[in-house]
Amino acid sequence: MNSLLLIILILLGGAILAYLSKRISPMLSSIVSFLAITSAALVFFFLANDQEIVKISLGDFVLEWGLNAYSWIFGAMVMVMATLASLFSIFYMKGKDRLGYFNLNFDLSVMAMMGILFSLDWVSFFIFWEIMTWSSFLIIVYNGISEGKIGIKYMIFSAIGGYAMLLALVVTRSQIHSFLITDLIHSFAGFSGNMQALLGLLFLTAFGVKSAVMPLHVWAPRAYADSPMSYTAIFSGLLSKMGIFGFGIMLIAVFSHSVDGTIFVYREVLAWLAAITSVIATFYAVIQTDAKRLLAYSSIAQLGYIVMGLAIGTKLAVMAALFLAIMHAIYKGTLFMVVGAVERQTGITDMTRLGALIRKMPWTFFAALLSIIALAGIPPLGGFVGKWMLYESLITSDHYFLIILAFLSSTAAFLYSFRFLFGIFLGQEEKEFENVKEVPFTMVLPMLIGSLLLVVFGTFPGLLFKPLASAMSFLGMGDVSWNMSMLSNGWGDHVDTLDVINSVVIIFVLVAIFLGLKNRKRTRYVSTKDIHTSGEIPTENENLTYAVDFYKPFERAIAPVMKRKMDFYYNKFGEGLETFFDFLRRVYTGNGQTYAFYVIVFLVILIVFSQQIFF
Amino acid sequence: MDTNSWISILGFIATVVLAFTVGVSYGGIVRKITARIQNRVGPPVYQNFFDIFKLYSKSTAVNHGWMQHLGPAFAITASVTSLMFIPVLNGQGEFWFANLNFKGDLIFLLYMMVFGSLGMALGAGQTGNPNSAIGVSRGLSQMVGYEIPWVLALVALMLQTKSTSITGIMDYQIAHGTWMMFESPLAFIAALMAMLGMFHYAPFDVTFAPAELSSGPASEFGGKYLAMMMTSGSIFAFVKLALFVDIFMGGASNLIMLVVKTFLLYMVPVLYGIVSPRYRTEQSIRYFWGWPTLIGVLGVLYVVFVR
Amino acid sequence: MPNDKNSQKIVDIIKNAARKHSLFVLAYGTGCGAIEIPPTMTSRYDAERFGIRGMATPRQADVLLVTGYLATKTLKRVIRAYEQMQDPKYVIGFGSCTINGGMYWDSYNTIKLLDKYIPVDVYINGCMPRPEAVITGFIELQKLIAEGKADGATKYKENLDWYRANQKKVIKNWNMPDYNW
Repeated sequence: MNSLLLIILILLGGAILAYLSKRISPMLSSIVSFLAITSAALVFFFLANDQEIVKISLGDFVLEWGLNAYSWIFGAMVMVMATLASLFSIFYMKGKDRLGYFNLNFDLSVMAMMGILFSLDWVSFFIFWEIMTWSSFLIIVYNGISEGKIGIKYMIFSAIGGYAMLLALVVTRSQIHSFLITDLIHSFAGFSGNMQALLGLLFLTAFGVKSAVMPLHVWAPRAYADSPMSYTAIFSGLLSKMGIFGFGIMLIAVFSHSVDGTIFVYREVLAWLAAITSVIATFYAVIQTDAKRLLAYSSIAQLGYIVMGLAIGTKLAVMAALFLAIMHAIYKGTLFMVVGAVERQTGITDMTRLGALIRKMPWTFFAALLSIIALAGIPPLGGFVGKWMLYESLITSDHYFLIILAFLSSTAAFLYSFRFLFGIFLGQEEKEFENVKEVPFTMVLPMLIGSLLLVVFGTFPGLLFKPLASAMSFLGMGDVSWNMSMLSNGWGDHVDTLDVINSVVIIFVLVAIFLGLKNRKRTRYVSTKDIHTSGEIPTENENLTYAVDFYKPFERAIAPVMKRKMDFYYNKFGEGLETFFDFLRRVYTGNGQTYAFYVIVFLVILIVFSQQIFF
Repeated sequence: MDTNSWISILGFIATVVLAFTVGVSYGGIVRKITARIQNRVGPPVYQNFFDIFKLYSKSTAVNHGWMQHLGPAFAITASVTSLMFIPVLNGQGEFWFANLNFKGDLIFLLYMMVFGSLGMALGAGQTGNPNSAIGVSRGLSQMVGYEIPWVLALVALMLQTKSTSITGIMDYQIAHGTWMMFESPLAFIAALMAMLGMFHYAPFDVTFAPAELSSGPASEFGGKYLAMMMTSGSIFAFVKLALFVDIFMGGASNLIMLVVKTFLLYMVPVLYGIVSPRYRTEQSIRYFWGWPTLIGVLGVLYVVFVR
Repeated sequence: MPNDKNSQKIVDIIKNAARKHSLFVLAYGTGCGAIEIPPTMTSRYDAERFGIRGMATPRQADVLLVTGYLATKTLKRVIRAYEQMQDPKYVIGFGSCTINGGMYWDSYNTIKLLDKYIPVDVYINGCMPRPEAVITGFIELQKLIAEGKADGATKYKENLDWYRANQKKVIKNWNMPDYNW
């Protein structure tokens, strides 16, 4: 049997089985879902190859599925992270109700993502895109409709994206009489300038919604924060990458065939929008007090980098963007799992109340620490490689002011990175969390695997460069040179990650050994109540945590930027529409005389303008 | 192992010793200068060696958990690793101090230098002392402030020399027989203003303010931990100075030139700091995002359009 | 090499030389004596030339400088600060109040002799002792350190029961954590 079809069928069957097996035992449902995704992953990694093509005839249309180097990267990312997330999900979702519903949608979204990646034509792409939207919508509302009506917001924006894509498909069809993606790529250069601009705008809108680029991002923070964390791990890590996948096709493969100036403008505008997105989202992440929201805003910011890289579109930038996309999937997936673990053990994710879980949940902290180091882009880990390539590509392609925005956002990211670790794992030990235990092994394992992947890819980024290079040559970027552990830019400067990690590890181990051995017997652990309080002895109930308004000075400094949210403009727009339609409503007065008047006016207009209209 | 690897290991050690000695002596000299400006005699210039040695010889130490235990290790790792990637001398003199100069570049260093702060911040966070947390919050916020003019200055340099590596920028200066501080003066001024914040002297010392925060992040560190922090801080001061000398002042051809140049450079934040009061955090952020950033932008434009 | 009271090991001599030249002071400004600390530290008398330097927290400090009378309420805080300091640590009692209660000798709520509660290495007499006297006191402490005789911390550890008993006698609401070095 064809392995691509097999993967889709396994996932679809897994979804249905998971839904049905909930009646036997809720736990079984999660296990079935995990097994389905795992076996799909096994099939993907060991059987799937780019020779296979599935053709399904639906009346007039032919749906075509296949695998290529570009979609393989994303497919591998989806399969690995989805496996980890579903493994995590087994115990995370234990004891919650409507597990069948949850797992059905979980598997359906994974299936839809794989479907999108396999699609060779826009119709199946669109169908799977909509399945993905719907299944994720159903999970967002899993916890009930919240007061922010976040499900509706998500639906509206997804609908905007969906319609944009649908319109783009129709326009494409009318131009080239084919739905194949490759046909669009090859014939795009032949379109007129306006047509290129229109198609570009429509597709970019469609993908921009999913990857949360600036004016289209307002659904994302709450949607990421409100769904169950094991799902957010793939929602923020993978679903958003489908937007990136589309951006890759449009910005690199399609646009590189156009010579028109409009496209250049699109690229620059998109790059700037992405940069502004990342700065503003980072600022918002800094002032959050809820760990989930913090990560949600941080996701938007990181997606901004990725879109920026794709929009710049040089070899190094695209490589950086794809590398960052993979890294983001891994570390953001891991971080959402960490928050999920904390939420399961303590019941809250509010960083002003949590604290000092490091001694209670050491493995979770370890995973969080590595992921945060990668997220902040600090050297030895994988995140650094992506960031480095992005900055180098920005400089070598003369985007010297974009790099400042990127750097501002990345430096401000240290703030929320620290806040996240401090708020949850460090600080004063609270009595409330005295009996918190580490999560079960099946929840620790996926987090640890995620963080170890970051270490591996930070040491040997070449492991990823190899498939990325073939993916980029598929996109039409020509030969991309790469090296197992040496990063280099267009100007011939380089960083040797192997030397970096050797140096860091050796020095760190030496210093740690020294610290450990020096006065070993006379080094003592004391509780966090035993601190300098000017001689005062804090009682049990005294709150010594500095957690509320953690970055107040920073907030004050950036206050002018934060005055308006994008929501504000959308609300104003909504109010404006309401006023407009309210005015239109007055047209229907309910008076026969007025309607007769309208008819006469219409006739007069027809007579007066008939010359211009009909001839 | 062959002779070369032994020599490079000796070179590593020599570099670290050099950085430590220079950094700690500068700390002592700064205390002396501060004292003279305040019309005092001041401690001897080798006072900081005594302090660090005394702290190492303290016989007990407490920590509030393994993150505090490892925080100083993170800090010293970051300092020493960034030292490894910075050319101490240029040209012929670099036999002993070659280290890993050709294996990293400026953007890598920017991130490597933050690694220590984050490690230190985590260590301070573990203590549970509210003063530490406040200090870290202020320090990180301030860092967002001064990184902007600093990066603008670096971007100007990179665009001008068409190289992102420190050795590349040094080679450019040698080839053109000039210093970058004369080639792109605006960038140099922006970087110098950013440097004021980088060294945490007044008016940007709100992070460690002893009177209001009881020395902020360091408040729960004693004995060997404090010694580690001071060691790391001294090495790090040398790293920053050497980096500045390398990219703006053409590097140094021998150790004496290195000491002269770094010392002159170090006097800028020190002398500015001695006569300054203290900024609040948001004031210092606004300061850095004001004139320094404007000058930095002008510096970039100057490089792009004039050169 | 024998290690009795009069001869030190060579390592200790080096260590003590460093300790002697670098005294980080935690000035516990309890009484009116605190007013003498600023002139001691600043331009006029400049204690920093002897390596004496103020520190913000007990964790970093070597010397606890108790400046004046101690109400029983403050005593508790002083003991806490002392116990939070890292070995080796020294105490300087400052002013007559720490020796015999000074002008508060008949007060019902101040302690008379500091040495009963924490081990004092050096007393500075006077009411107030002038900065010159304070510096002399520090130099005296430095001499003791160099000779290895400033061993208040060891004394405290060895006679902890006696000190604790004395402390508990005056401090009614005892809620201090254990001292188990």
